[in-house]
Amino acid sequence: MNNLCADIGYNSLIKYGEQLCGDHIDVVDCDSENAQILVLADGLGSGVKANILSTLTAKILSTMMSQGLCIDDCVKTVAQTLPVCKERGVAYSTFTVIKLIGNDEAEITEYDNPPVILIRDGKNYELPRSVRNIDGKDIYYSKIDLKEGDIFIAMSDGCIHAGVGEKLNFGWERKDIISYMETFYSVGFTAKTLNTILLDECNSLYAGMPGDDTSAMTVLIRKRCPMNLLIGPPSNYDDRSKMMSLFFSKEGKHIVCGGSTSNIAAEYLGKPLKPKLEFEDSDVPPIAEIEGVDLVTEGVITINKVLTYAKDYLKDNESYSDWSYKRDGASLIARMLFEEATDINFFVGRAVNPAHQNPALPINFNIKMQLVGELADCLKKMGKRIKVSYF
Amino acid sequence: MKITICIGSSCHLKGSRQVVETLRSLIEQNDLKDKIELGGVFCMGKCQQGVCVTVDGEFFSVTPDTVKTFFRDNVQAKL
Repeated sequence: MNNLCADIGYNSLIKYGEQLCGDHIDVVDCDSENAQILVLADGLGSGVKANILSTLTAKILSTMMSQGLCIDDCVKTVAQTLPVCKERGVAYSTFTVIKLIGNDEAEITEYDNPPVILIRDGKNYELPRSVRNIDGKDIYYSKIDLKEGDIFIAMSDGCIHAGVGEKLNFGWERKDIISYMETFYSVGFTAKTLNTILLDECNSLYAGMPGDDTSAMTVLIRKRCPMNLLIGPPSNYDDRSKMMSLFFSKEGKHIVCGGSTSNIAAEYLGKPLKPKLEFEDSDVPPIAEIEGVDLVTEGVITINKVLTYAKDYLKDNESYSDWSYKRDGASLIARMLFEEATDINFFVGRAVNPAHQNPALPINFNIKMQLVGELADCLKKMGKRIKVSYF
Repeated sequence: MKITICIGSSCHLKGSRQVVETLRSLIEQNDLKDKIELGGVFCMGKCQQGVCVTVDGEFFSVTPDTVKTFFRDNVQAKL
């Protein structure tokens, strides 16, 4: 077991005029093998029919492969299960499967989707593919050891057809997609952001009206990065130093949220708490500094803002343009938790702040607990490992 | 003279940002930058009485509406 992990981002553009996407992406954890199975399937045609074909294909492949069945069996099952299209007389869905094993190696199985792109050390790296014929279908198979910084991009053909006949004669060719994405290699974007960059470009080549369902899945291989967040004093006054020593003994960066909480942390560390008075063009309170703590912020209002950003990040990520550069507490926490961290430990104190129990204020104890719970759920959906401890 | 203003959750919701900004501009207008130091503080434990402000250690409860009179009576008067 190394200390690498996979940061995964995926999304789809739906063909203009359709309501359902004919591509389907499925990510399944396979605990027994310490593996992750990622499937991108593209169903024949568009709309309902394509949606059913791709969903079936992705689900069959991810379920069977996570149970350790061989690819031959999986492909045969897909071929025998898919309903045959009346008009075209075929049952058809293309697919790409990326199996990440122990974050050491990747097994990639491809059928008729554009070949997976691998950007390694900033440059295109063609996967060592071998072809196998299963039931008359040419299936490409490759296996490669993972390296920190690797970026895998799986696509449906909607990406390489972007702009065809309109802005580009032959669509957005794979080699051009590669050189486009290579330029973002060293910026340090997350998989989700890289994926959004790719799909945004497709969308603009399609002039906002995609001519086909367009999906992409980006996998970024990165080092694990632990992060610890402390919020709220413990419900039992005597547990203060226990909570602090557990928190500060953890590996990784430390974030302290809350006025009283940061006073306790400062006292524990024996360092002064220095609040700043810079409002940073934001509606959240200013941050503070304690030597030995990576970030000190106010509590409930800041976390509430972070939660808003987290929910948006999981949808269309429109607020990225705010939190990606601002210096206020919520933006700083968002960058640390969403982009930097892979494993997050929450230390949540359950003391009730009497001042917050005023019905005139939009903050109270229940809201605080709810915020932390919701934020942890959002972060889980971002693929982070989350542990919450209550005091 | 040192003035500290609480910027914790409770005081923030009661308008500590406006208090800070008003004080800043009053200090500017009266050309008192050399004489007054503004600082933030996290929670003085008197959230019910927010916005919590201290002037050289003495506690005051200020709101965005009373900040101008507070400045006249408790800051300028003592300089």
